[in-house]
Amino acid sequence: MKGEAFSSDLWTFDFQLSTVNRSGTRVLPKLTRAQHHDLYYYLRLNRRVDEQLVSLYRQGKVAGGVYSSLGQEAISVGAAYALQPQDVIGPMIRNVGAMLVRGYRPRDVFLQYLARQDGPTGGREANTHFGDLARGVIAPISMLGELVPVLAGVALAAKLRKEERVALTFVGDGATSTGQFHEGLNFAAVQKLPLIVIVENNGWAYSTPVEKQMAIRNIAERARGYGIPATIVDGNDVLKVYAATHVAADRARRGEGPTFMEAKTMRMKGHAEHDDARYMPKELVERWRRKDPLLRFEKYLAQKKLLTAAEKAALDARIENEIRADVAFAEGSAFPAPLDAAQPVWA
Amino acid sequence: MATRTSKARAPDATTLERMLYYLKLTREAEWRIDQVLYRQGKIVGGVYVGRGQEAIAVGSTIQLTPDDVVVPTHRDFSAFLIRGFSLREMFANWLGRADGPTRGRDGSLHFGDMRRGVVAIISHLGSWCPVACGVAMALKRRGQGNVALVFFGDGTSSEGDVHEAMNWAAVMKLPVVFMCNNNAFAYSTPAEKQFAVKSLAVRGPAYGMPGVSVDGNDVLAVYEAARQGIARARAGGGPSLIECKTFRMAGHSAHDAAEYVPEKLLRQWARKDPIVRLEKLLRARRILTRERIREMDQAIRKEIDEAVALAEASPLPEAASTPQGVHCGADCWWRKTSVVRSQQSVAGDHGPRATDNGR
Repeated sequence: MKGEAFSSDLWTFDFQLSTVNRSGTRVLPKLTRAQHHDLYYYLRLNRRVDEQLVSLYRQGKVAGGVYSSLGQEAISVGAAYALQPQDVIGPMIRNVGAMLVRGYRPRDVFLQYLARQDGPTGGREANTHFGDLARGVIAPISMLGELVPVLAGVALAAKLRKEERVALTFVGDGATSTGQFHEGLNFAAVQKLPLIVIVENNGWAYSTPVEKQMAIRNIAERARGYGIPATIVDGNDVLKVYAATHVAADRARRGEGPTFMEAKTMRMKGHAEHDDARYMPKELVERWRRKDPLLRFEKYLAQKKLLTAAEKAALDARIENEIRADVAFAEGSAFPAPLDAAQPVWA
Repeated sequence: MATRTSKARAPDATTLERMLYYLKLTREAEWRIDQVLYRQGKIVGGVYVGRGQEAIAVGSTIQLTPDDVVVPTHRDFSAFLIRGFSLREMFANWLGRADGPTRGRDGSLHFGDMRRGVVAIISHLGSWCPVACGVAMALKRRGQGNVALVFFGDGTSSEGDVHEAMNWAAVMKLPVVFMCNNNAFAYSTPAEKQFAVKSLAVRGPAYGMPGVSVDGNDVLAVYEAARQGIARARAGGGPSLIECKTFRMAGHSAHDAAEYVPEKLLRQWARKDPIVRLEKLLRARRILTRERIREMDQAIRKEIDEAVALAEASPLPEAASTPQGVHCGADCWWRKTSVVRSQQSVAGDHGPRATDNGR
């Protein structure tokens, strides 16, 4: 198509190549040392918050379930980090990392999971089902796939208002089979909306392996049916996810329409803590453990001398202190008064 | 996919003549409905015709065997005829008569009969596609090589249900052929505002099934593409998507003046009329003479006159009978008709099931 920087063929993005757009300008800025530290901080914070939630769950302190993001942190963090403050995300259950990047603190997450009054939903909603337009976060909607048309709507508003705002949402491999996914993507394509859809292909939709979810090898193939450019990235490489998202956001801001990104990863545990995942082959999980996103990034930073041992220790300690303080704060917080249960239900 | 076909697989002269007959019968019957009966105020309910798109249902449905199942839309009048509904039955339904297939309770083509392998039209666009998958699952289980043939339009292709159905069909390798009638308009929404691809055929591989685009006004092209899809399904090769490109020559409905459709496009597509093209071909191949075609036209007109007369002479349903058939009771008329008995034989009566709870 004339005027488009990318054709609608699949392309694989390699971070090592510098990406230039049609006018020859370098799209991808080089990350500074501090930004590398940011990425490390958020990856590790995501991991530690997740581990803390599992611990609280096992102590019987969590209201509802815990859906871990173990092994998938690079997608949440890399993608969210590539956005601008005015952009809007629609995270899903395994995207706590993205919510942290957007400004939520561990204590918000703990207060929510522990159902306390001072949590983001006043103790009324479970797990990651919270959001705040001021932070550019649309609260996750349980019904899988629903966020796609919703974020398409956000993107439509941005386009109508002529704002340079990008809407980004995450879906799982299972959610790509939903009708909502289809309707939202098709609409975004035909309206050329500034929408980025990141499919986290973690191999499983509860106990349904991806081979039983669809008859195609790569989820990115679905994008062809809509005329949306697609890319496949290594979802366990935070820099690749960052780069691909940045390029997609740049496209969106220039009015070139939506981008579809399939991030390959692996769900390292069951669907939730209450799922023992006996159906997952252990060798498969072990293979992916060697590709752990946090470990890989630590190695990369060490190799490139972007993070000294001392710097790492300082960041790790800071994270531990934050988490310890925030857990204590959350556990010490009051529950909502039962008589107030009906309060924010009606306008 | 080439439209060339070996002589052995091309439709024979009898089939070609039958296809012309159904094309013409459909065109004339629909004309009688929306240009005559509707204007006389005799139609009960909405009027939707498939003018100009007749080749799509004819070229595909004609290849089905008695145990196959078709899941049609409003634009597929001929599918009902080919599966054995009489003109009288169809006009009785359009006129809301008590002896029509829905006993005057539903209008237009909202009727079906599992005995004749026709799933009744479901209004909600796209929702019949997962139903077609369910039918295909049953047919697959039966293991007799039967297929389901389902139609949907360019507008309907944007519906989530169609996505879910196509994905499911591909994963489960169901014997279903998806026929997409891309007639360029969904009510007043042109195809360019419906999707960002040039052809919906690309959606086939996006699900993991073959996808092809054919000239929907060339009944032989439709026939060949459908033949391949049906053969694939029968052999256990799973679903196919066939986009038939055509044009909606009438409005969305009889109450739609369709002023938004450019005159120029209507004129261009009129020159590609599927009936004229097949007639030309049959005469060129000396399969039919001009006289034979004229006889066919006269016979068709007579058939329609008779069917309309019978339907008009039929009584309207009694107002007091309105609650009948809404809920199934002991004296439910539905239980009493042969439809139920034949449905049981089609489904295979295995006696009481564990879930029956003794009922």
